[in-house]
Amino acid sequence: MVARSQRERLLDAAVDVIAEKGYRATTVADLTKAAGVSRTTFYELFEDKEACFLVAYDTAADVLARRIAGAFEAQEAWPNRMRAGLTAMLESLAVEPQVARLALVDVGSAGPRAQRRYRAALQRMTPFFDEGRDFAPGGRRLPANTSRMAIGAVTGLVADEIEAGRADRLPALLPEILFATLVPYIGPAAAAREAGEK
Amino acid sequence: MPPTSSSNGNASVSRPKELSELIEQEQLPAGREALLEPPVAHSQRERILEAMAKSSAENGFGATTISDICTAAGVSRATFYELFKDKEDCFNAAMELSLADAMGTMIAVYSPDKPWATMVREGTAAFLELLASRPTFARMAMIEAPSSGERAYQLYASGKRVLQALLERGRDDPLEEEAIPSSAARAALSAAESLIVGQILTGNTTRLPELLPDIVYITTVPYLGQEEALRQAREAERERPAADS
Repeated sequence: MVARSQRERLLDAAVDVIAEKGYRATTVADLTKAAGVSRTTFYELFEDKEACFLVAYDTAADVLARRIAGAFEAQEAWPNRMRAGLTAMLESLAVEPQVARLALVDVGSAGPRAQRRYRAALQRMTPFFDEGRDFAPGGRRLPANTSRMAIGAVTGLVADEIEAGRADRLPALLPEILFATLVPYIGPAAAAREAGEK
Repeated sequence: MPPTSSSNGNASVSRPKELSELIEQEQLPAGREALLEPPVAHSQRERILEAMAKSSAENGFGATTISDICTAAGVSRATFYELFKDKEDCFNAAMELSLADAMGTMIAVYSPDKPWATMVREGTAAFLELLASRPTFARMAMIEAPSSGERAYQLYASGKRVLQALLERGRDDPLEEEAIPSSAARAALSAAESLIVGQILTGNTTRLPELLPDIVYITTVPYLGQEEALRQAREAERERPAADS
């Protein structure tokens, strides 16, 4: 078994400890203790707590984005693409609830740099949603902010569930999250039909 | 009347609650008449709250110090501690003031006889105007509050629940027979929230009222369908006092 590097252990520790204590209450001592490394080593690898958090965040966001994109691209029609991408996202978050907390909840109290990272990560999802404008009949008439709003709807529903400690239940929310995603583009009847299908 | 539900799973009610009942249920401060011109802070307490809002909006709650607040408000530390237990207590009081204004705004446009879509248009317009006229409080209430302690977070969540309950009335007379998820209003509210927060983060809160048609669209489309939601959005834009035609 390959021993994980000290850097990897610290990043894992960041995810676990911050998910448990929240960003503000987490100290560098907490991280070094959880990772079994010295304070000196920590500061060789990271400038400060925030820097460590940001790397952990970027790593998690990257993995998630690639899984979502892979699932999305494997389908043809846009509603099916969204269904697949959302399913991949919900399942990933459900099996790693600490990552889910880090990515969607703790980032809110981790300072402005983290918040900018978060919003940038969400913006990367825009092209997936924008496809809905081409798919939808009359998509040209839709508000310019439609994709931003749909992304906001999805992250709101997901964050609510994570904050309530129910990250494991996220996959069961697919129908309502898919509805919220599709409804601005194709209307409630079509969105409800798509959401009702497996 | 179909049952309504709130996000925390309260028992359904047989008639929609009056807005004042919703506010009371959330134990929020009763709405006060929210003047669009920020009132001049007269009392020491008001000056401290205004200084708190300003500092936490500019520097973040974490970086805000009681010293800075006292200097800005022209009060002594002793005075501060006569009025507030600590920094968090002061922030929470400022937050309650913001909520009182927001609830007052909603009360002013609310009427049980008004069509739901009309209330959404007018309520959204009034709310955006309020935020635009109070950029400091807007930033404090919508950006800082959710991560500034448990009480501030709960106040923010309570305010959202009142708005959510109002949006959920849309299901009383929906266009479609299809089953619309019970989370539709909560999702639409999050959508609106993300637009508003995004605009506040640009630092240009004077443009908040321009978000009106998009927010009307996203909050009405789940219940009224696309054609009607687009029509409501256009109507809302026409109703804006300063809108260019």
